[in-house]
Amino acid sequence: MSEEIRLMKGDEAIGEAAVRAGCKAYFGYPITPQNELTAYMAKHMLDKGRTFIQAESEVAAINMVYGAASTGARAMTSSSSPGISLKQEGISYLCGADLPCVIVNVARSGPGLGGISPSQGDYFQSTRGGGHGDYHTIVLAPKSVQEAADLTYEAFSISERYRIPVLVLADGLIGQMMEGVVFKDEIDPASLPPEPFAVGHQAETGRPNRHVTSINLVPEELEKQNIVRFERYGQVKKELTRYEEVQVEDADLVLVAYGTAARVCLGALQDARRKGLKVGLFRPITLWPFPDAAIGRLAGKGSRFLSVEMSMGQMVEDVRLAVNGRAPVDFYGRCGGMVPSEEEVLAEIERILGKRS
Amino acid sequence: MRVEFRLSGSGGQGLLLAGIVLAEAAIVDGKNAVQTQSYGPEARGGSSKAEVIISDEEIDYPKATDPDYLLALTDDAYQTYGSLMKKGTIITDSSVKLDPKMGVKTIVLPILQTAREAVGKQVVANIVALGALGGVSGIVSRQALEQSVLSRVPKGTGELNLKALAAGLALAEKAIS
Repeated sequence: MSEEIRLMKGDEAIGEAAVRAGCKAYFGYPITPQNELTAYMAKHMLDKGRTFIQAESEVAAINMVYGAASTGARAMTSSSSPGISLKQEGISYLCGADLPCVIVNVARSGPGLGGISPSQGDYFQSTRGGGHGDYHTIVLAPKSVQEAADLTYEAFSISERYRIPVLVLADGLIGQMMEGVVFKDEIDPASLPPEPFAVGHQAETGRPNRHVTSINLVPEELEKQNIVRFERYGQVKKELTRYEEVQVEDADLVLVAYGTAARVCLGALQDARRKGLKVGLFRPITLWPFPDAAIGRLAGKGSRFLSVEMSMGQMVEDVRLAVNGRAPVDFYGRCGGMVPSEEEVLAEIERILGKRS
Repeated sequence: MRVEFRLSGSGGQGLLLAGIVLAEAAIVDGKNAVQTQSYGPEARGGSSKAEVIISDEEIDYPKATDPDYLLALTDDAYQTYGSLMKKGTIITDSSVKLDPKMGVKTIVLPILQTAREAVGKQVVANIVALGALGGVSGIVSRQALEQSVLSRVPKGTGELNLKALAAGLALAEKAIS
């Protein structure tokens, strides 16, 4: 921690964290509610003599990320839901080529052009790969401006460690609100070790050719590549799964929520506890890998679950898979840009626990 | 303790900046703060609304649900947001037409006039209002407000804005004494 607390918008804090993480190339295209992030990068990347390009489209931006990542540079793009949909082909190619990069989705409500208000309707798209083929991206879900900055900063090294793109999934509320944030120390991109896969500078070094691609027309080889990649996914599950638990030990009902919805649940949890209701919160920080073992453990202890989301019910499917029939799993959600209130969640808690006041 | 502020008026009155300065002052004082504002079409119309939550503890829900203080600088803002007040205090400008149906404590202050006449520039009405809000609520220190005003207002306007802040704090002092 290098300096004082700064009051910043989530979008801008993500930008500052990326600059400090040594992001060498950023490619963006405007869309609300993440425009402040692109604007921040336009100013600060150019100030530092790094690459900033406002591409002609989201599709171009993600393919520029592919190019920059191929050279071993820390590369990043950001957008909001409809723009992230457009990037999916490129994300699939990045995953197929085992390239590291950071993709930020400051999600808005859908489907289609939808609205510009915050939503968690992109959970399926984020955690199931999103594009074509057998793959996952690592998905990190911040609940605050501070965590958005911290996870973005760390996303670059996580992505390089596993050679898997990392998706930071925020929402319009986290992107647009201002909170206090403290940043980690700045990393000089020149100080980072060269990537073993990176193309470029071959003539100077005389090393053998390197080839970055996702194509392989030999089924036996492609299958083997996919199997090797999935072994890496297994390693990610073991090493990276992250979550926060609040008062789950004695809980009769565990709320499961991430991002903005988790903040709502924290308030509802305190109200419920004041009424003598034993309620806890389980907050996944990695949405992929999903912390299913930890949820399974709670299910084995007799807790029941309520998944609270800003969607029509997406993460609840992962909760049910993790619980695997051992406990009842309910769902409460608002969508279309609506954020559930603490009172609504409390009413749902009381309904489930049969103690309507 | 969680304290919720809603600042409302017309676009261009600088209330978003006032909200940011208030939130920053809270952070300078060692508290937690969250500032939110409408974005998109809402924010591009004639009205403007910012919300600030200040607390000694971690802030869960980031938006104001039951404001303790409403600043309303126009008739529209007073009517729209005043009617949502279930408790707390409304601070409004003396140019606003009061509605006897509003059931909460209301402090009427000559904010726009003070900016225009005492400070000399209508454009600093937002900082006069900020001083009034800070003074009436007592949540943030004067020193923190001054520091945050200086860090957020355009270069070369620091002195003018500090004068506006002092005028707002003086209005508040008179109103609560």
